[in-house]
Amino acid sequence: MTGRLETISVTRSYGTRVIVENVTLSLAPGEITALLGGSGAGKSTLLRLLAGLEPVDAGEVRLGSRILSAPGRTLPPEQRRIGLIFQDFALFPHLTAARNVAFGLKHLPRDQAAATVDRWIGLLGLAGRAGAYPHELSGGEQQRVAIARALAPEPAAILMDEPFSGLDPALSGSVREAALAAVRAAGIPALMVTHDPAEALESADQIAILSGGRLLQSGTAENVYLRPASLAAARSLGAVNVFPRASLPASWQAAAPQPGGFVGFRPEGVRLDPASQTRFVVRSRRLMGPLVRLTLDGHGLQLNALAPPSSAPMQGAEVGVSLDPALTFTFASDET
Amino acid sequence: MELKAPALYAPALRQIPVLIAGLVIALPVAIVLVTGLAEGGGAAWAHIRDTLLARYLSGTLAVLALTAILCLLMAVPAAWLVTMFRFPGRGVFEWLLVLPLAGPGYVLAYAWSDLAGVAGPLQSGLRAATGWSAREYWFPDISSLPGLSFVLACSLYPYVYLTARAAFIAQSVCTMEAARSLGAGAGRTFWSVALPAARPAIAAGLALALMEAAADYGAAEFLGVPTLTFGIVRAWKSFGDPAAAARLAFVLLALILTFVIVERWSRGRAGTQQSSIRWRQIPRAVLSGPAALGATALCTSLFAAAFALPVGRLVWRSLESGARSTRIWDALGNSILLAGAGAALAFILALIIALSIRARGPLATFARIAASSGYAIPGAVLALGALAVIGSLPVTLSGITALAALAWVYAVRFTAAGTEPMAAALARAPVSIGQAAQSLGASPLRRTFAVDLPVAMSGAAAAALVLFVEALKELPATLMLRPFNWDTLSVRAYAYASDERLAAAALPALLITLAGLLPVILLSWQISRARPGGAE
Repeated sequence: MTGRLETISVTRSYGTRVIVENVTLSLAPGEITALLGGSGAGKSTLLRLLAGLEPVDAGEVRLGSRILSAPGRTLPPEQRRIGLIFQDFALFPHLTAARNVAFGLKHLPRDQAAATVDRWIGLLGLAGRAGAYPHELSGGEQQRVAIARALAPEPAAILMDEPFSGLDPALSGSVREAALAAVRAAGIPALMVTHDPAEALESADQIAILSGGRLLQSGTAENVYLRPASLAAARSLGAVNVFPRASLPASWQAAAPQPGGFVGFRPEGVRLDPASQTRFVVRSRRLMGPLVRLTLDGHGLQLNALAPPSSAPMQGAEVGVSLDPALTFTFASDET
Repeated sequence: MELKAPALYAPALRQIPVLIAGLVIALPVAIVLVTGLAEGGGAAWAHIRDTLLARYLSGTLAVLALTAILCLLMAVPAAWLVTMFRFPGRGVFEWLLVLPLAGPGYVLAYAWSDLAGVAGPLQSGLRAATGWSAREYWFPDISSLPGLSFVLACSLYPYVYLTARAAFIAQSVCTMEAARSLGAGAGRTFWSVALPAARPAIAAGLALALMEAAADYGAAEFLGVPTLTFGIVRAWKSFGDPAAAARLAFVLLALILTFVIVERWSRGRAGTQQSSIRWRQIPRAVLSGPAALGATALCTSLFAAAFALPVGRLVWRSLESGARSTRIWDALGNSILLAGAGAALAFILALIIALSIRARGPLATFARIAASSGYAIPGAVLALGALAVIGSLPVTLSGITALAALAWVYAVRFTAAGTEPMAAALARAPVSIGQAAQSLGASPLRRTFAVDLPVAMSGAAAAALVLFVEALKELPATLMLRPFNWDTLSVRAYAYASDERLAAAALPALLITLAGLLPVILLSWQISRARPGGAE
């Protein structure tokens, strides 16, 4: 009924500075897309283009078959039916939780609106807090009110700008699960802007990687993680060791069969393999939480590896090493 | 060696200055209240109560109600426009609209009654354009209750404009964007999100404006509108009964107290603190066509009514009549001397109180509350208090005694205007500065002079300027307490205007306004810099 929310070759500049360049992205109903990138990558601007808070300079924003934005023509946000959730929640400070949720229900008859508010308040576990003002709510409660407020008017799509980064880290895990379950249940296209690759990988059905205003790659989490289109795309989801193909030991070159001058592999793709004849020395060993990060030296290379604490060798030990082909990629260049 | 627990309260001896400062400020008000209660029941009071009180009270209430409405209508739309939109002249209007704060109400009353009088340029122009004679048309009369409200609103709306504008700038842009994403158009976003969030700030600005309006004497007297302050001065002057005047002051103070309470109460439980942790420059929407024209026209007519027309008229009149009278230049010297003395005393009191706030003693709280109440009390009432104190001493109100009494009243009235910026400057400085000084072996006294005082001084220059100009503008207390035949600019302007010599009143009125411009310009400059994105 709502259809996909799409950008088609959208570009947005401030003066001569291009913020978003030729981005084509399609958000499917019922799926959460994570828009991943560092600061200044253009994530928030792309979200604002989708929301209608800013006009596009080129390209189109569409919802189903309807054109929302085109150069010189911007349907205002209040007519788009696209919900927004902000990092700081942006609750109306002078309204109670219930009246915040009711804000977007102006078009409904009073009793129907009240019933809708009750349903959302209950759904997000805020039943006892309906009469509280935002400053009387905890961070997690404010977050849930913001989600209820955005979803209550049954929007055609929902956009979330760093929705969990304002929360206590200890809290954000559980809040995120509950929140995203509610978003998924709405069955509409959902976009979540984030700078945290772990959050994107864990929560999203689709990941879109933005860098310098351009879309580097988009696809399912697994696809993007295991088949990065470029070194930059690979790096934005986690650490990568990268070397010229010719500098690798001969036995390893087979692990990267595709042509390409450079080979990259993730630290968790470096296997400690007693059977391997390719030997390295452990230079340093540092516990990183659940895993140990090893720096390995040998064959004129220095690389990072991850291993469980129980099986990680001690500093100074010599170990045989092989590569996991699934976590090894080839790139045409080592520029990011 | 003896170890001492850190002193939470300053030792008793060091509290003596702040105790004295508090008493100096609280004394006149206390005396007025006591006098009014104990002695105010004479024949004059009976007459005032039976024939005049209802008129004074209804006059004051009507003037305040109308002034409040006009202030809101002038200030809030203009503040919203310059904050949220882009239109021709926006950047200039942003600070131009603060300037009317420079002219006191009585100056605007003189200028406007000259402008709008039968012989004034507006009516002459109308007659010339239409060929009507003076009896053939209706023209608004400034010498009326609505006229007084208009004049007061013109000089006081900037209080509301400043607080409203600051509140609009401070609110989270995300909140307004959230409202739009929920289907609210620009109108509903303003009425149900931006305005309620700014309401406490607007109410605070309005409360300040109404306190000033209630304290006005010069404009009400000149335009012939009976108000309580007008009545207080008259009871003292015409009936010669300070105690009856003190009873009237009682009524006025009760009214002002009601405002303060209503303002506090109206804040209620609803939050107004923005939850926003992220601040973004307000993306000003560009107005074009009729909307841009309307915005520019609205700001232009507001500035014209409140500043350009009246001040332009004063300039014209001053040039026309020339500065022949030496009485004006004597009065200027007297004004500077007296305002300087009052500002100096207020400055010292403010400094003592600001420095003591950090020590957190009950006396500091008392002195701070006394200072802010003094600010709310009309000069005419404080003058009554000073008169009562002098009456109980073996001195007469003349010469140096009268001048000292005036400086005292100025200080009582305006100390709060100095305490607050200095306290803010001190609060901004990290506590660790003082601790560093102590760890380097500085005694508390040396710490005060070597560390706290220089820090407080960063807010002090602006405070001193504000104090000086406020004292310069003051009229009713100056009128009541000045030594015989010793004029200030405000007294001179008042005297000429009372004699219907508006041309002669123009120059002193203009000089007061020009002096008033200095702190206003400083203030608007500071405000435009206070927020990184407030200015462009």
